[in-house]
Amino acid sequence: MSIRPDEIKVVPRGPEPGGMGGAYRAFGETLRGLRTTMGRLFEKPVTIQYPEEKTPVYPRFRGRHKLHKFEDSGLEKCVGCSLCAAACPAECIRVVAAENDPEDRVSGGERYAAVYEINLARCIFCGYCEIACPFDAITMGHDYEMADYNRSDLIFTKEMLLAEPIDRTPLRGEGE
Amino acid sequence: MARVEDTLHDRELRQAGAMGAAGTLRDEEITVSDFTTELSERIPGVEFELEPEQEMLTVNMGPHHPATHGVLRLVVDLEGEVVKDLKPVIGYVHTGIEKSCETMQYWKVIPFVERMDYLSYFFNMQAYVGAVEQLIGLEVPRRAQWLRVLHMELNRIHSHLVWLGTSALDLGAMGVYFYCFRDRDRVLDTFEMSTGQRMHTRYFQIGGVAEDIPAGFEQKVRKTVEQLKTGIHQYESLLDKNEIFLIRTKDVGVVSRERLVELGVTGPLLRAAGDPWDLRKEGEYLAYPELDFDVPVGTVGDGYDRYRVRLTEMKESLKIIEQILDGLPEGPWVADDRKYALPPRAELSTSMESLIHHFKLVTEGFRVEPGEVYNPVESPRGELGCFVMADGSSKPARVHFREPSFVNLQALADMTIGEYVADLIQTLAMLDPILGGIDR
Ligand code: SF4
Ligand code: SF4
Repeated sequence: MSIRPDEIKVVPRGPEPGGMGGAYRAFGETLRGLRTTMGRLFEKPVTIQYPEEKTPVYPRFRGRHKLHKFEDSGLEKCVGCSLCAAACPAECIRVVAAENDPEDRVSGGERYAAVYEINLARCIFCGYCEIACPFDAITMGHDYEMADYNRSDLIFTKEMLLAEPIDRTPLRGEGE
Repeated sequence: MARVEDTLHDRELRQAGAMGAAGTLRDEEITVSDFTTELSERIPGVEFELEPEQEMLTVNMGPHHPATHGVLRLVVDLEGEVVKDLKPVIGYVHTGIEKSCETMQYWKVIPFVERMDYLSYFFNMQAYVGAVEQLIGLEVPRRAQWLRVLHMELNRIHSHLVWLGTSALDLGAMGVYFYCFRDRDRVLDTFEMSTGQRMHTRYFQIGGVAEDIPAGFEQKVRKTVEQLKTGIHQYESLLDKNEIFLIRTKDVGVVSRERLVELGVTGPLLRAAGDPWDLRKEGEYLAYPELDFDVPVGTVGDGYDRYRVRLTEMKESLKIIEQILDGLPEGPWVADDRKYALPPRAELSTSMESLIHHFKLVTEGFRVEPGEVYNPVESPRGELGCFVMADGSSKPARVHFREPSFVNLQALADMTIGEYVADLIQTLAMLDPILGGIDR
């Protein structure tokens, strides 16, 4: 199918510059423009006083990852299956699995992640790891303040990912 | 004449030698007319005319120049203030994305291709995802099609807003820039709400979209549409009849429609020259045939027409978005084909079969029969096509993009040669090149 003639809309050309009209527009239109800009004086500002005020995020926002534990037993949910590492397009997850000791269990499954590292300097926050994990062990949190002075500090270990973030990022409510 | 050239050459050599030997030592300044006089003294009875290129000045504009909208270098030959020749030099932000795609499974390519043209990520995804869907013959559910169109049209507005803000800034309209970025942020907020990320959302997946839209999304978009309408009214009141804007844009950078077609230029640039070529109408992909919208075209094809066409396109996109919100069909948002689409999360803990499918899709991906497909979509800058070649494995053998910015940039020389260098800035801004897309 190609386009029907009635779907073509020719845009207006606007006035030609210069001449008497130009002399009028140099003042008149400028004043009209000023009215538009001055009208904004009475509106609420749209800026946020970051970092004093934090930008609120929506519930789906994908920020820094979190690893989870079972609430009742305190065992880690991650079983070291490396699915997240396989799904990661930036190849920034490193998982080394180990067998659980029946006396002193770390995770809910047979195995657990002895090493779990995410290199946040490489991460593109696509959330594929969250999709890939079949046990909901890793989810994307809401933190977005991750700047640091050293690249090596951006490699987050399992302990850092398991810990609660210090500052909670504000969430946006309904209708905001 | 050979003698004259030899003499010139000798002289240059001598000068160079003197400078090389003593570093700063230099003959006194010799102008072209001095030289002509000297020559006619030596060879009496012969008139000498030197080439005018003695007066040419070659300037590098960019690669780090705020007005090039990215890392673009323009080698401009100037005669006085007039552009005589222009060569764009690209490749400063080459990332090798197309090559990287060959090392990834099909679903992992999606976050990569989004990052080429960083202002039209939904279009990049649709071009790629659509091509793969054609290769495997997968039908996208109706709701997913409508959701894709909804996000793509919001994306078109977002891209045009960035274009309008930066181009107006190049012409000195600071206020428009702030208004555009204020409204752009509102569009990005809607993306954050539905997809989880403001840019590079990886929302389109093979077979549909990643998640259904959240509750309250419709109200959010409706509110944004109202705000955008007010916003567009504000830009119009500031720019439409502004005398400076009129003088700077009217009849500048005009190239005939035939020449634009020859160069392969598409999108708003071609439509501003009067050619109603729009793939949303011609290509009939996704839900576009069911939606009612007009295609704005210009008459002359100068900067002013390009501005008006893009502004009208934003209004048409708003019209499409409202239609989608009114008529969004219910149903699944991703194809129910376990071979290609991930099973729903709830099934993972109950069904072993789903878990195996999930495992297989995540680690290995799916295999695609050998074949090749070219899938074009209408991006904010023109025809964005994705060519995917499959070789039977779970990774594409070749992914290639026809980037509209790359092709459109060819027309820059035609648009600017013979114009003033100040108009070069304006014409480049109206061309709307995205360097991430050009270099890939
Ligand atoms: S968000 Fe994406 S890039 Fe980051 S760790 Fe997860 S899968 Fe890798
Ligand atoms: S986080 Fe999930 S996917 Fe990754 S290793 Fe642990 S259990 Fe497996």
